[in-house]
Amino acid sequence: MRMTGFSYLIKEGFKNVWNNRIMSIASVCVLISCLVLTGSAVLFSMNVANLVDKVSDNNETTVYLKDEVSKVEAVYIGRDIEKLKNVTEAKYFPKEEALADFKSTLGDEVFDNMKNDNPLPDAFKVTMDDLSKYDSTVKQILKINGVDKITSQKELARKLASINDLVQVLSIAIVLALGVISLFIISNTIRATMHSRRFEISIMKSVGATDSFVRIPFVVEGMVIGLISAVLSTAALFFLYDLLMEIVTSLIHVATIPFSSVFWFVAGSFILAGLVIGALSGFISIRKYLKKEGNEILGW
Amino acid sequence: MSNIIEFKNVSKTYDSGTHALNNCSLNIEKGEFVFIVGASGAGKSTFLKLIMHEETPSRGTIIVNGTNVSTLKRKKVPYLRRNMGIVFQDFRLIDKMTVYDNVAFAMRAIGARPSAVKKRVPYILNLVGLSHKAQNRPSELSGGEQQRVSLARALVNNPSIIIADEPTGNIDPEMSYEIIGLLSEINAQGTTILVVTHEHQLVRRFNKRVIEIEKGKVISDTKEPVITDEEVEFDDSKFELDPLPDDLAEAIEQAERAVEETPEEELSQSAPETTEETEEAVSDESEDKEAQQCE
Ligand SMILES: Nc1ncnc2c1ncn2[C@@H]1O[C@H](COP(=O)(O)OP(=O)(O)OP(=O)(O)O)[C@@H](O)[C@H]1O
Ligand SMILES: [Mg+2]
Repeated sequence: MRMTGFSYLIKEGFKNVWNNRIMSIASVCVLISCLVLTGSAVLFSMNVANLVDKVSDNNETTVYLKDEVSKVEAVYIGRDIEKLKNVTEAKYFPKEEALADFKSTLGDEVFDNMKNDNPLPDAFKVTMDDLSKYDSTVKQILKINGVDKITSQKELARKLASINDLVQVLSIAIVLALGVISLFIISNTIRATMHSRRFEISIMKSVGATDSFVRIPFVVEGMVIGLISAVLSTAALFFLYDLLMEIVTSLIHVATIPFSSVFWFVAGSFILAGLVIGALSGFISIRKYLKKEGNEILGW
Repeated sequence: MSNIIEFKNVSKTYDSGTHALNNCSLNIEKGEFVFIVGASGAGKSTFLKLIMHEETPSRGTIIVNGTNVSTLKRKKVPYLRRNMGIVFQDFRLIDKMTVYDNVAFAMRAIGARPSAVKKRVPYILNLVGLSHKAQNRPSELSGGEQQRVSLARALVNNPSIIIADEPTGNIDPEMSYEIIGLLSEINAQGTTILVVTHEHQLVRRFNKRVIEIEKGKVISDTKEPVITDEEVEFDDSKFELDPLPDDLAEAIEQAERAVEETPEEELSQSAPETTEETEEAVSDESEDKEAQQCE
């Protein structure tokens, strides 16, 4: 269907946003809070899921050595570990290598100011045969002289996974609740515009405008509000993300997902959500007006 | 001549229980000029609303332009209304728009091309003698001028029927005369005109068909001016109309000449180009007609 005069109606939609700017700004603010909160929850969840993935991928247990242990002593400790029945391999992982590893995942800059002072301990990466005997094997390793502590990745993975489950349930609840709230707020805004334009609506209907023609400006109004909110939300989340990731890294020191790699995902979903919520609000609010005729529209 | 409006045993009872129309039957031919008169609450506005499909009849059949509007689907209503130009007592102009935009609005609302709007609106404004006020706001105009804008808006989509509910109710007698004069001009071009009015002296000045409604029934329908001796005396003493002021008469004459000088072709050319949507609807309607004939 060719729609002539379409551009006129779209222009009218933009005008609606401007003419009703106080309400529009209010809706944009509410929608931004909704999108940013939802986005934060989703990104947090994504980071945790990413960590859980990484951690459960490797079946390695890291055995850290005490600071005073020399490189030669370390070789003996390594042999002792490998002698244990359940251990298939104990790979030496010197602190220099550990530092290089960190640098490659977190970026060089972070470590610039500690070039000469490596705070990391030497370690062994131990692979076990049977993970069900994990606890007893760990106990045996800890008995060996010079061993400081063991990070049990499996344990951590389990903890993270349960946090992630909680975050995901919360995310869904937040998405649903905030989605409904945004819909409500935007349709109220559009209803206000419609009320102030009911005179025009009645004239449009009296000259024979189709429902879709009457509807377009209001759907466009909702979509413009949604789009503005989406763009501003993306910017807001860009700045909030570092803060959010500090929380994640305070739980565990592992590299988080950089914002640049989720930028298009965030911007894309925000824009899509904004447009859908906005258009839906327009549709919902105009319904009651379309059913009315003549003076009913004007409330006379 | 074929009927453009047919009422067959039409009754309208509002939800409140008011019987606004009672078993009305009447025909209006294409190109007629009809006054509808009657006391307040007689059912005149209801009659017009039924034609416009703002209300639906409780009983009976209404046929407009060959389409049975009593059973018209909601989606088809806009296309029915594109055949009608509606003029309101209170003008219903949008004050944040200029006169030009008020008229253009009616075209844009049904998807007319910008080029068609540009061509048609100045032509119509000239027809009602308001070219020089195109960029004014409605509130800067006199009542009569505002009603002419409203009339221009009703005319701009080239309707086959003009429906006016007390178009002269809010303006003084001279202006009223001018508006009815303009409507006569438009009628002379072939457009069917329905005017509801309270002003008997106005009805008498124009020798047109008069339908009188009382308590929801058509009690008289005549093409002769119904003037009894009593009424003539009454008319003379109380409602004598001054002759038209010179400038007004001139304006009407000018408009007349403008219409005459415009060749037929141009008149039809400057009508808004129909959009595909309209064309679709037209073909739909003709399908409907066929369906009806089959029944
Ligand atoms: N929407 C409505 N709901 C209920 N009753 C209505 C409605 N519209 C009109 N009526 C009633 O129907 C009757 C006819 O009304 P209508 O408006 O047709 O009268 P009218 O002839 O136009 O009167 P007036 O000259 O005062 O405009 C009146 O009694 C009126 O109260
Ligand atoms: Mg009335």
